[in-house]
Amino acid sequence: MMNYFKTGGVILAALLCMAGCATQKSYVVLMDNADGTTGKLAVSGKGGEVLLDKPRTAAALDGKAAAPFAVDENAIKRDFGPALAAQPILPVSFLLYYKTGGTVLTDESRSLIPVVLEAAGKYPAPDVSVIGHTDTLGDSAANEVLALQRAQGVAEIIRSAGLQVHDLTVASHGEKNLLIPTPDNTDEPRNRRVEITVR
Amino acid sequence: MRHGITAFVLILALALPGQAGEIIGFVKTVSGSAAVVDAGKAVPAKVGTPIKMGNTLQTGPGASLGVTFKDNTVMSFGPDTELTVDEYFYAPGADKLKFSSSMSRGTLQVVSGVIAKLKPKAVTVKTPSAMIGCRGTRYLVKVDP
Repeated sequence: MMNYFKTGGVILAALLCMAGCATQKSYVVLMDNADGTTGKLAVSGKGGEVLLDKPRTAAALDGKAAAPFAVDENAIKRDFGPALAAQPILPVSFLLYYKTGGTVLTDESRSLIPVVLEAAGKYPAPDVSVIGHTDTLGDSAANEVLALQRAQGVAEIIRSAGLQVHDLTVASHGEKNLLIPTPDNTDEPRNRRVEITVR
Repeated sequence: MRHGITAFVLILALALPGQAGEIIGFVKTVSGSAAVVDAGKAVPAKVGTPIKMGNTLQTGPGASLGVTFKDNTVMSFGPDTELTVDEYFYAPGADKLKFSSSMSRGTLQVVSGVIAKLKPKAVTVKTPSAMIGCRGTRYLVKVDP
């Protein structure tokens, strides 16, 4: 009797899968981001376009533009387990701030450098980018140079720390990429910064 | 000092966007047999292998691969997967932003990066029968041709 039910259950599951899985040959699933937010996906083909905006909903990739369907944890693990497990550590960014008009870090930012170096050490083949910024005080061309000097200074700290960096790129955004929008000739400590990204 | 200047010029050259053969990302994780095909030549993927525009990423049976791109897009591949990076432009200053790829088979996770954030619709994955457009999110793709 027990065996009969068990067999019946397996057959039922197989039938359900045939109905549900047949449409899931090729499909895309929208997932939530690490910060809890969710974006959107547009899936288009010959039959039109489907928009996905709820996490764990999916669209078939057959071009027929059928309605989205829900995907459960088991299906995600079954189909995407190895792809999920192979995810590299997500990139991380740090901001270092400067005293006005020069390349001297604030005391607080100086003390953040060991934290940056420790984080970078955790990445396989660390790929580091350093981007310098200024506030809008003074001449734009001079700020382009100052931002570069700031970035180079940070790059030098990273190099001299003996960190095995796989790739290191340095760039200047001058006063053209303000964190806090201000008019020209404005002293704004939060804009005097270097952004370090470790990938 | 001369060394410093040379190093600086080199770094600047590497940072210039849109150059042919420019490195757009690196292999970060690999398990089993995986390859990066550059100009028709398959190179076994190792941690640190560079990725360029036009390259095809392949994983064999039971293998997996993870890649982090310069705009912080993170892609990871399950077994028996093939994806080609058709176009990759990451130059926010010049408003040149594009990341289009084609996936012919396998499984993929994408954690989208800066390009998707700055320019919605600039990030696409083409599959044999459909096109996926991404607006800043994480998603999973399975292609069973």
